[in-house]
Amino acid sequence: MVQVEALTKLYGEFTAVSELSFSLQPGEVLGLVGPNGAGKTTTLRCLAGIIPPTRGSIRVAGCDIIHDAIGAKRQLAFFTDEPRLFDYLTVWQHLNFVARIYQVPDYEKIGRELLEELEIANKRDAMPGELSRGMKQKLAIACGLLHSPKVIYFDEPLTGLDPLGIRRMKDSILKRARGGAAIIISSHLLHLVEEICSRVLILKNGQKIADGTLVEITRKFSEQAGDTSLEEIFFRATSETGASVAPPVLPLERK
Amino acid sequence: MIPALFYLQWQSFRNRLVTRFKRLKQPKYLFGAIVGGLYVYFYFFRYLFHQGYANGGRAAVKLSVSPEHLLLFELGGALALFLIVLLAWIIPRERAALTFTEAEVAFLFPAPITRRNLIHYKLVRSQLRIVFSALIFSLISRRFGGNFWVHALGWWLILSTLNLHFLGASFARTLMLDRGISNWLRRLLVLGLAAAMVASVWLWAKQTLPALNSADIANLDSILDYAQRLLTAGPALYLLYPFRLVVRPLLAPDTAALFSALPPVLLIFLLHYLWVIYSDVAFEEASVEASQKLATRIAAVRAGNWQAAGKKQKARRPWFKLSPTGPLPTALLWKNLLGIGQAFSPRLWIVLILVVVVAGFSLANGGHNQNLSSVAAVIIAFALSYSLLLGPQLLRLDFRRDLPQADVLKTFPMRGWQIALGEILAPVVVLMAFQWLLLLVGAGLIFCLPGKYEALALAIATGAAMLLPVLDFLLLLIPNAAVLLFPSWIQTGKDSSRGIEATGQRLIFALGQMLALLLALVPAAVAFIGVFFLLKFALGPAAAVPLASLAATVILAAESGLGVMLLGKLFERFDVSEEHTS
Repeated sequence: MVQVEALTKLYGEFTAVSELSFSLQPGEVLGLVGPNGAGKTTTLRCLAGIIPPTRGSIRVAGCDIIHDAIGAKRQLAFFTDEPRLFDYLTVWQHLNFVARIYQVPDYEKIGRELLEELEIANKRDAMPGELSRGMKQKLAIACGLLHSPKVIYFDEPLTGLDPLGIRRMKDSILKRARGGAAIIISSHLLHLVEEICSRVLILKNGQKIADGTLVEITRKFSEQAGDTSLEEIFFRATSETGASVAPPVLPLERK
Repeated sequence: MIPALFYLQWQSFRNRLVTRFKRLKQPKYLFGAIVGGLYVYFYFFRYLFHQGYANGGRAAVKLSVSPEHLLLFELGGALALFLIVLLAWIIPRERAALTFTEAEVAFLFPAPITRRNLIHYKLVRSQLRIVFSALIFSLISRRFGGNFWVHALGWWLILSTLNLHFLGASFARTLMLDRGISNWLRRLLVLGLAAAMVASVWLWAKQTLPALNSADIANLDSILDYAQRLLTAGPALYLLYPFRLVVRPLLAPDTAALFSALPPVLLIFLLHYLWVIYSDVAFEEASVEASQKLATRIAAVRAGNWQAAGKKQKARRPWFKLSPTGPLPTALLWKNLLGIGQAFSPRLWIVLILVVVVAGFSLANGGHNQNLSSVAAVIIAFALSYSLLLGPQLLRLDFRRDLPQADVLKTFPMRGWQIALGEILAPVVVLMAFQWLLLLVGAGLIFCLPGKYEALALAIATGAAMLLPVLDFLLLLIPNAAVLLFPSWIQTGKDSSRGIEATGQRLIFALGQMLALLLALVPAAVAFIGVFFLLKFALGPAAAVPLASLAATVILAAESGLGVMLLGKLFERFDVSEEHTS
């Protein structure tokens, strides 16, 4: 569903992403992890066709994102960490607008169902300014899912959500994956990645340093397979020496 | 604690200045600074440094200020100050809130800083703005004569005293609210007091001054003379006296007059300061709210939505129903029309059309009103010209507003030209509707004009109706192309840079846009002239004008089409990341 070949993105002389290759099958959930500045967001933005890659090729649902951008974009949805909404459109007007952009004839039925599912049906006529951060996130998700995308990218999907919202978001992601969507999640929340991702790709300084299932990655970075958490693996994989550099947990000060 | 606050103030100012100087390494800021600097020099400073103007302004234009004139200026200034102060007690309805930034609220409010120190910090910070404003005002007022530094000191005293008064008034307002005096009751009390003052002056004038007759209002001199007699004696003398004291240093003709005017105004300043400092009013809660509002406004401006910056967005009815399938640019037109603001609601257009039709009919039926019709026709011609000049600058419902959302637009499955067309359509539609409305009125007025011009005037109106939409389109294409070509040069909202360099950048772009427009108009103008002279003799001017306009419209439409394709390509190539990193 997603094929990335030697993706490279340069900003002047700075290499944000270097020779990144991977592929993703329908129903797979890929966790994209890495320290700050590793190139996760740049990778997602290239995959979504927002910024052009300097080199390499990206195919989304069989369409080349450079040469057939329209075909590729019709199949995907990209959710940024900060919901990007038009502050002069109501919730329902957002859905109406997106329906025209993606040519969704039965948007009213789908839109109603999505608003119900995301529990913002009572906010149908509200302006973004009247919504909480979590509700804005939900509206952005409703807009993105309206055209039933086959490929979905999430950049820090749990930011600003309450515990119930987090639970529902996880369920929603897994539901889409079971429905055949290929999903990429970029997140610093390693427990989220551990919980819902079938594969993990670790980036550091724009380069891929690990790609595989959790078991495969654990085997690669731990002395004894299966005894290490993703957090521990992450620290080992992204440290300079490869040794565990997890910061010590400081005991709580007791008075 | 105060030194820490001064440190914050000084370092913020210094860092801002250093950043400004550092960015001059980039050509766009350097050229902007040069052009802006030249503009500021020629507009303001030439009068300050030029040899001939060094002592008291340009002799040729320097006003010879007699003591009577000085008194009139003083009275005028005092009256203006009185009105400003009166409004400060009538209009506001919020509780006292010192506007801090969100960072200041986060750092200073939980810190062990007394309320008085926070007020001091706020006062010191407002001095930056006041000193800058005083210098600018002095550069302007100094051109009419007087010493620059006397003007600067005078303006500083006026602005600082007003600043303290606004703050004190806001504290007093809050205290009244805390004691159960509502905003409306306060307004009634203040208005009642003002009415009593006016009544006392009126009664005194009625009893003391000779009755007002037509000679008193025959010309400006007699009006000023009467005003002087009214305001320099009786109750007005005492009521306006404190305000006159505040204005006096600004109008001081020499150093001696300045020094004699200073003590009273400094006393007023000191009293205001004590009033503010010793007011025990809790402003923190309202300040937090105000800082959040400020942050929302800044965010809205940075997102390119100036309308949202002013007020809370309300849900609006769309101009038309958007079906889920159909041409894609229509979606952007629909969206941008929704973002146009309350001022351009469909209801307003219906009212406008009704007004225009009624006015047109009444003018057309009043045959004796030919002069009125001619004046109205001239006004319409001016309004049309201004709509062409200013409309595309004011209606920024296009890439200039949506560029900060470029990454969202980039995810849409639309070709570049579709996005470009959709973005430009909304301002074109609004401008076109306004201009056609004016033309409709113009057409109505034509029937009031002498018959021999009727056919030609109608021909011109028809030609204009064809030409104006494509001209609007072309005029909007240029700034939109500029914003995509030089995003960091144009004020899209997110880069709301200020200062001399930003002024220079705007001047450079205004010039560039004018040049581009002239180049684009040349082929259409040639076509118009050619067709007009070709057909004028065969068909007459009344038929030649619309046909020549049609030819020019075709050329402009072709240019616009090419422009949209180019704009689309520019958007497709527009690298959001590079813009973010610049």
